Amino acid sequence: MTTLARSRPITTAITQTLKTHPVILALIALFLLFSALYPERFLGPLNFSTILRQFVTLILFALGPSIVIVTGSLDLSYVGIYMLGSVLVWLLTPILGLVSIVVILHLEVATGFLIGVIQVKARIPSFILTLSLLVIYSGLTAYLAGGYPRSVKGYEFITATLIPNLPTAFLWSIPIIAAAVFIMKGTRIGTYLSAIGSNEEGARLAGINVDRYKILAFTLSGLFTGIGSIILFQHHGGSATVELNLNTMVWPLLAIVLGGTSLMGGSGGPQRTILGALTFTVVNRGLVLALLNPEAVQLLLGLLLIVSIVVSSRGLKGVTVT
Amino acid sequence: MKGEKMIAGRPLARGWLRSNTTTIGPILAAVAIIAVFQVINPDFLSYNGLITLVYAMSYFLIAACGLTFVIMTGSFDFSVVSVLKLAALLSVLYVDRLGLWVVPLALLVSVGFGFINGLFVAKFKVPSFMATLGVSVVVEGIALYLSKGFLHVINNETFRALATTFIAGLPSIFYWAMGIWILSTFIALVTPFGRRIYAVGGNPISAGLSGINVAWYRIYVFMLSGLFAGLAGVLYMANWGGGSMELGADAAIPLFASVVAGGTALTGGVGGPHRTLLGVIIITWIQAGMFMLAVGRDIQVVTFGLIALVMSIATIDWRRITIIK
Repeated sequence: MTTLARSRPITTAITQTLKTHPVILALIALFLLFSALYPERFLGPLNFSTILRQFVTLILFALGPSIVIVTGSLDLSYVGIYMLGSVLVWLLTPILGLVSIVVILHLEVATGFLIGVIQVKARIPSFILTLSLLVIYSGLTAYLAGGYPRSVKGYEFITATLIPNLPTAFLWSIPIIAAAVFIMKGTRIGTYLSAIGSNEEGARLAGINVDRYKILAFTLSGLFTGIGSIILFQHHGGSATVELNLNTMVWPLLAIVLGGTSLMGGSGGPQRTILGALTFTVVNRGLVLALLNPEAVQLLLGLLLIVSIVVSSRGLKGVTVT
Repeated sequence: MKGEKMIAGRPLARGWLRSNTTTIGPILAAVAIIAVFQVINPDFLSYNGLITLVYAMSYFLIAACGLTFVIMTGSFDFSVVSVLKLAALLSVLYVDRLGLWVVPLALLVSVGFGFINGLFVAKFKVPSFMATLGVSVVVEGIALYLSKGFLHVINNETFRALATTFIAGLPSIFYWAMGIWILSTFIALVTPFGRRIYAVGGNPISAGLSGINVAWYRIYVFMLSGLFAGLAGVLYMANWGGGSMELGADAAIPLFASVVAGGTALTGGVGGPHRTLLGVIIITWIQAGMFMLAVGRDIQVVTFGLIALVMSIATIDWRRITIIK
């Protein structure tokens, strides 16, 4: 292995990357396919800018949960926290002024911490815990907003255009993604979280404070969702949505699974989610540009979700499934 | 049953109370809820009030019984609401062409999706929550594709009679629901099939070692859940004669809340459809009471989320030393 790497470093590096990230091949293939099918629609600057805009939405929602999924748990609360955070901004801006955008961050970190503590202490499955919280938060959002979407003025500076045709939210997301990848790849937090995901009992016996790191994973998820939500809040036009949509909840999960993070935990993480989010966005744009009707697009994306879930859980025989 | 044996040495009354908290709790809760709403609005327990409640809880009870079987095995079925919706939509779209044959068609489709769910969970080892979430996105997609997002109304009287014929002062949908509930209870408590479902939920490994085909039993419960969801959808359509089938991601929560509020634990092996009746009464009567008090849908959603959360913590089997993800 080492000799091979010394003699032909670049080819080996490429084959290695392709082995661990097979989705790259799919991404390239899809890109070429759509470029060949309708070059004038797909290869225009407008389409690239749309792809980037959708990619940002997806990745900023998916970064946090992909940290939690590495530990084998699931965090579905992101959309709910985003909605409640936005409506709190709408409520607080007249009182506190522009500082109130920070409330999103506080809310999300606090929620993440709370989820972690409940999950660790009360030991209930994280999907039902975070799903319940998602529903509770969306209900609170609708109540606080009075049932209507509310728009807030004054935060336009967050997404003010810096470079033409390049969404500013995308520029913002680069350091955020880098920070998430650094935490998971460059610090021992990432190593410990993967260890917990692949064998929780083993990690405990190896001396890792499993409970504390699980709480940390949920808190980090809240933190990244929080930073992301501040940007997405303005990226989506500075308004607080009140409608909880199944698709908004599911597509970030699809991006995570497509990227190759196993739902069983132990492998993957934010670095793979970038690829997953990009692939998903390209597929979505490709289908939309194919001028299919929206219902058919949703159906095809749903099938893609099932296939990728099945593929990502493949080869895990002997693992207890609940 | 395990609990009763362990506490046999203690004073009888205390031991009985302790071993039956999950049974007594929901009963007390149901009585308390009825009492509170009766005090607030004296019409709550009138004939008209009760009929409204019967309408609200009947289709709900059928779907909840199906979900209970899945939760008894320690899995979760997110797709119940979507399948219910699809079955309702199929019946409204094809009843004019097929007549009552639309019922078996809708049920067959529902069982089919249940089978697919089960296949993913049991054979491909996909976590049940994610598998059923994926299937429900596809089912929603099909429903959207078929309905084109329009509101559909049914005019076929024979079809509507399935749910709206009055027998002894009660609509037939009530007898359907009771029939399904009794059937589910019978399946779970009396038949070997039901006992094996408990065994799979209690400890899948030892169930497998004692000769139960665990994978197939997982598939069976998902098929059962699909079948009941489909029946609930058909009867829902027959009962209301139409309606916007707009159900969001939060629609599964009241259903789930009613199963856990009855005392069926998410960890599996405990509870059963006989308990779900109480849970459904609690949830639908809270809902009806809140409508009566003009509490908005948003606060109802928050309430059901909280009930789901608290009850899943309360019913979880602490004696199990398992790793909960």
